[in-house]
Amino acid sequence: MKTRLPVNFLIGAVLVALVLGAAALSLVWTPHDFAQMNIKAKFGPASSTYWLGTDQLGRDVVSQLMAAARNSMTVALAAVLIGGSIGTALGLLASAIGGWVEDLVMRIADIGFAFPALLFAIMLAAVFGPSLTNAVLAISFINIPVFARVARASANQVWTREYVAAAQAAGLNRAVISWDHILPNIGAAIIVQATIEFAVAILAEAALSYLGLGAQPPAPSWGRMLSEAQTLMYLAPQLAIYPGLCIVAAVLGFGLLGDGLRDITDPRLSRER
Amino acid sequence: MIELQDFSVSFKSGTALRQASLAIRPGDRTGIVGESGSGKTMLAMSLMGMAPAAADLSGKLVLDGRDMTGADDRGWEALRARKVAMIFQEPMTALNPLRRVGDTVMDPLRLHLGLSKAEARARALALFEEVGIPSPVERLRQFPHELSGGQRQRVVIALALACDPELLIADEPTTALDANVALRIIDLLVRLAEERQMALLFISHDLAAVARATRDIVVMYGGDIVERGPTAEVLTTPRHPYTQGLLGARPNPVAEPRGADGKRPRLPTIPGSVPTLQDLPSGCRFSGRCPVELPVCAGTRPGSTLISATRLANCHALKQEVSA
Repeated sequence: MKTRLPVNFLIGAVLVALVLGAAALSLVWTPHDFAQMNIKAKFGPASSTYWLGTDQLGRDVVSQLMAAARNSMTVALAAVLIGGSIGTALGLLASAIGGWVEDLVMRIADIGFAFPALLFAIMLAAVFGPSLTNAVLAISFINIPVFARVARASANQVWTREYVAAAQAAGLNRAVISWDHILPNIGAAIIVQATIEFAVAILAEAALSYLGLGAQPPAPSWGRMLSEAQTLMYLAPQLAIYPGLCIVAAVLGFGLLGDGLRDITDPRLSRER
Repeated sequence: MIELQDFSVSFKSGTALRQASLAIRPGDRTGIVGESGSGKTMLAMSLMGMAPAAADLSGKLVLDGRDMTGADDRGWEALRARKVAMIFQEPMTALNPLRRVGDTVMDPLRLHLGLSKAEARARALALFEEVGIPSPVERLRQFPHELSGGQRQRVVIALALACDPELLIADEPTTALDANVALRIIDLLVRLAEERQMALLFISHDLAAVARATRDIVVMYGGDIVERGPTAEVLTTPRHPYTQGLLGARPNPVAEPRGADGKRPRLPTIPGSVPTLQDLPSGCRFSGRCPVELPVCAGTRPGSTLISATRLANCHALKQEVSA
């Protein structure tokens, strides 16, 4: 290939590969059992046994970080899939029907946008009680208006294409056209948005877990590791730094990957290279 | 079979089609010519029930004995493809780039005729053969970008023919094609229309293409039908000043002789340009650009003047001339 891939795409891809790789590996192998306590070795330094040391209960930090990555990816994936599907469906529906239905859906989406996403997720999780399922649902919910807006804007563009007119001329109804012709042609925009929202979802999950509204102990989570380490900041600052770095790497990775994908799929938006 | 009576399409900004009357019977081959903005595409879209949602339709549009003027999408969906079908100007954009062309052609077959996948495939194959696509079996599985412009236009035609429509509307089907490919597409359309006893409505601004494809012609300007009659007669002895201007503005394929100053004579043009929807004159739409304009023209819409049993033109000057 002659064209060079954008730098943000490459950096994002590497970071995402690292995080996903660690999460996948944790399914079959971690250096230690992440919940295994060893009080004698608490606050242990980095060593050949405990690569990044141990925490206040003598648990292996690397194992916890890996298991937390899996947890984080699962939550983000589920939330983006659920929120993305519902949002995209609503956007397609709004675009296909038009008129007052479109106005209604979009105004409701606007209301959704009026709330800061994280705050809204925290509110939902607080109302429905702290659990991983509720965290997933809360993050899904804040994704719906985002996808509805992107899907509807892209779909409205595709509806003006001549092949859609040709499909209408062939007597296809709007539902069939939406599924067969519109959806595949807005796929690129949806995938780009999903990648970016994946980063948002990781951050949201970390925030919820930090506040105790996400993963419940003993399930590991970067956010909870961070909040537990906070009280020990002066004693063992590394315990807060490691999960913090993981969150940064994951969010940055998916964010850059999404931006890079957008640059690749939509050359009009890309900056001069 | 399809009939328009005083059919108008208007928007808030103006009237795109003014009281058009037109009847198409099985086997007719009718051409519509006019500049961009003359309302020819609006007429075609109206016949498909695909006029823009913001448009206000009035008059009568009768399809198969049913008045379709106020029909909704659902009513039209049942008739499209089976009664009227349409092929489009740009074969590059008239096919979904992400869909195999075979699937695109099979869609209406499965939807309207309720064919199984295998039956639809066999039918699509027969259609590809009928419209002259070489190695149709492989073509069915290809994507639009793998086909040439002429091949794509044949696919678009196959799609339009899928459910044996009684009327095929071709909106500038050859404008985007090479000249020799365009000729073959025109001949294909004529052959298909004759073999299938299908009416053809051929829209173009290319007079040569219309002359080859049609038996009757309708000349439009600014949303009005200004002249109509048998194609050969109208193109050889145009009576409406607009038609005369349109025919005069064609470049001669044989290089014209140079004048005394060594330059070729300038191509005659119609002075001015087509007014926008807002600025259309209320009387004859051509007033203001017309070389034989009378005082009455700008304010009063000319009625039809019968030139012969088969020919009509809407012009005040012509009416005076004929009645004198």
